[in-house]
Amino acid sequence: MDDCKAIQVQDLHKNFGDVYAVQGVSFDVQTGEIFSLLGPNGAGKTTTISMISCLLQPAQGDALVFGHSIIREPMAVKAAIGVVPQEIALYEDLSARENLSFWGKMYGLRGKPLKQRVDEVLEIIGLADRQKGRVGKFSGGMKRRLNIGIALLHKPRLFIMDEPTVGIDPQSRRSILDSVKELNRQGATVLYTTHYMEEAQELSDHIAIMDHGKLIAQGTHEELVKIVGELDRIDLLLNVEAAPVIERWKAVEGVQRVSAENGKVTVLAGDSNLVLPRLFEAATQAGARITSVDIREPNLEAVFLHLTGRALRD
Amino acid sequence: MKVFDIALKDLLRSLRNAFFLGFGLGVPLLMGVIFYFAFGGLASEGGFDIPRVDVLVVNLDEPVVEYGGFSAGEMLVGILQSEQLAELLAVTESDSADAARAAVDNQEADVAVIIPAGLSAAVFDPQGQAEVEVYHDPTLTIGPGIVKSIVTQFIDTLAGSKIAAGVAYDQLTEQGATVDGTILQNVAMQYGEWSASLAESQGASVLLAVQSPAGGEEKGNLALAIVGGVMTGMMVFYAFYTGAASALSILQEEEDGTLPRLFTTPTPMSAILGGKLIAVFALVIVQVLVLMAFSSLIFKTAWGAAAPLSMAIVGLVVLAASFGIFVMSWLKDTRQAGVVIGGVMTVLGMVGISSVFTANVPGAAGGFAAILPLFTPQGWAMRAWQLVRDGGTVSDVLLPFAVMIALTVVFFSIGVLRFRKRLA
Repeated sequence: MDDCKAIQVQDLHKNFGDVYAVQGVSFDVQTGEIFSLLGPNGAGKTTTISMISCLLQPAQGDALVFGHSIIREPMAVKAAIGVVPQEIALYEDLSARENLSFWGKMYGLRGKPLKQRVDEVLEIIGLADRQKGRVGKFSGGMKRRLNIGIALLHKPRLFIMDEPTVGIDPQSRRSILDSVKELNRQGATVLYTTHYMEEAQELSDHIAIMDHGKLIAQGTHEELVKIVGELDRIDLLLNVEAAPVIERWKAVEGVQRVSAENGKVTVLAGDSNLVLPRLFEAATQAGARITSVDIREPNLEAVFLHLTGRALRD
Repeated sequence: MKVFDIALKDLLRSLRNAFFLGFGLGVPLLMGVIFYFAFGGLASEGGFDIPRVDVLVVNLDEPVVEYGGFSAGEMLVGILQSEQLAELLAVTESDSADAARAAVDNQEADVAVIIPAGLSAAVFDPQGQAEVEVYHDPTLTIGPGIVKSIVTQFIDTLAGSKIAAGVAYDQLTEQGATVDGTILQNVAMQYGEWSASLAESQGASVLLAVQSPAGGEEKGNLALAIVGGVMTGMMVFYAFYTGAASALSILQEEEDGTLPRLFTTPTPMSAILGGKLIAVFALVIVQVLVLMAFSSLIFKTAWGAAAPLSMAIVGLVVLAASFGIFVMSWLKDTRQAGVVIGGVMTVLGMVGISSVFTANVPGAAGGFAAILPLFTPQGWAMRAWQLVRDGGTVSDVLLPFAVMIALTVVFFSIGVLRFRKRLA
């Protein structure tokens, strides 16, 4: 085993009947880094981390977590990880303290150490003053924090977080992202899934992009952006049917790629300043008028678009 | 240890759950209280407080001198005025049929029983006919029903005696024997005794027997005996509800995501499933003990001897819990569970405890109504509890207890196997 690797995923496959959710996914997560799985809903991210969390049995392949096989040594794997599920998984009729105490026991904590750790976690997640309140009466953000707090109880070396910011307000989201960075700063390894490009970009040391159950690219943010050749992305809206205009734009000098989705046309180009006047001219010649222009620097969304021909969206 | 942590957590959640507190404890207690007040009286007063039925008896019958002064009319009046029925019927004799009917019409009496002239003679005359009239206030049901039941049983026995006497007369005269009234009276009386003993051996109520479950405080207080029976039925009925509802927590946790999360902790599946099953058993135990204690304190319910009672408790708890686990293991989600708990469990429960309501219906004992509940697990539990409350011994309760344990093993094994497969 490579001591530097927290996770080694080797050719994982998983199918649910005829639906192939994960097809031959392999990647490594280095100890102490934040590794993000980025992709749209249904890409296979949750299925992949469910297998790494020993919640699902792979149909094929294996993964090693700190050298322990998820198939042969699931208990050792489970003891080493703290899982934050996508859905809030709490007992709403128990208080915050009762929830933490129960889950702490499930991780093997007992007696005084359990009580101390529960107190610490309540402080960390900012719920010390609401510890006796029933979780069912908490706000969404408070529940999310408690949901994360449970994974902190046994001080795991690896956190597996499945879209922990879905459906919460910007303030709570900011708080969670800061917590993830703080955990990482304290030495924890984090495997993080998201469909928000900005989160992956902000948090991650390494990013793997998934689509349709396959891992289509991985690397650092810089490495991934290079895939699109540092092209600018220009999103345009037209006042008429886009198809004839797109044909003209593909022929415009400097344009690398043109795609359309839901009425929005996306053009990838080396220099948007040079290309944009030409796009206006071509549109006018086709009898169309551009009603909206949005220019963006290269980012992960452009990478996803480049690789799949589709926008990265919910 | 984790297995008990999971069980304690589930128990705590259930005890904070309004559904369990309402349906598991509140409703059965409320039903007992409603039945108690429906039948009137306070436990401390002791007596039977159902309003007595005012009966006017008009006996126009005349004794048949040639048959030893036999008088069917006097027999019927004697039955109605017997001590055993004194708590049910307030019988007054009247000379006039019209006056008796008028008294009923004026709501001065509930029922008039008019015994016609020649009733006794008709018993010994092959062509003779007589009809006892039960005249009652049509708005009343229970009181007239009791009187009708008594009169019908008496007349049935009388009719049988008449047939027996006729057959005996024909056969004896054919053989040249001299048949006098005393012989025919003896034949009729022997038939009556034989008929009564036959009915008793088949489980039917003896004509004058007022059934009352065993138990010190309850003896002599039919209201308490009825409430005791109802509480037993409610306890059995709702124990199975609780078994199913608490086993439902497995499906509920699966949907809430807490069960999958438990599987990401270093906790073996056997501990997770075991903890949840212990909670199901514990909850049914809590429910049964609370209902028993409440019924004992408030209604003075006597539960029977300790040893057979322990068997009934154990049998009910394990069967109700395992049946709940079994039923829930076949369901996809909590939406299906709502239909099953609301429909299937209710129907099975009602059939299973139907003996509470049919026990005193003439002809029900020993008939289909007595066998039907045994097609449900609730019926076997009810059978055991009724035997215990009727003063049954360990050997009396052994059969239903053995059936309950056997059913438990089957239900539990299938349920656990299905859940293990589902959660693997």
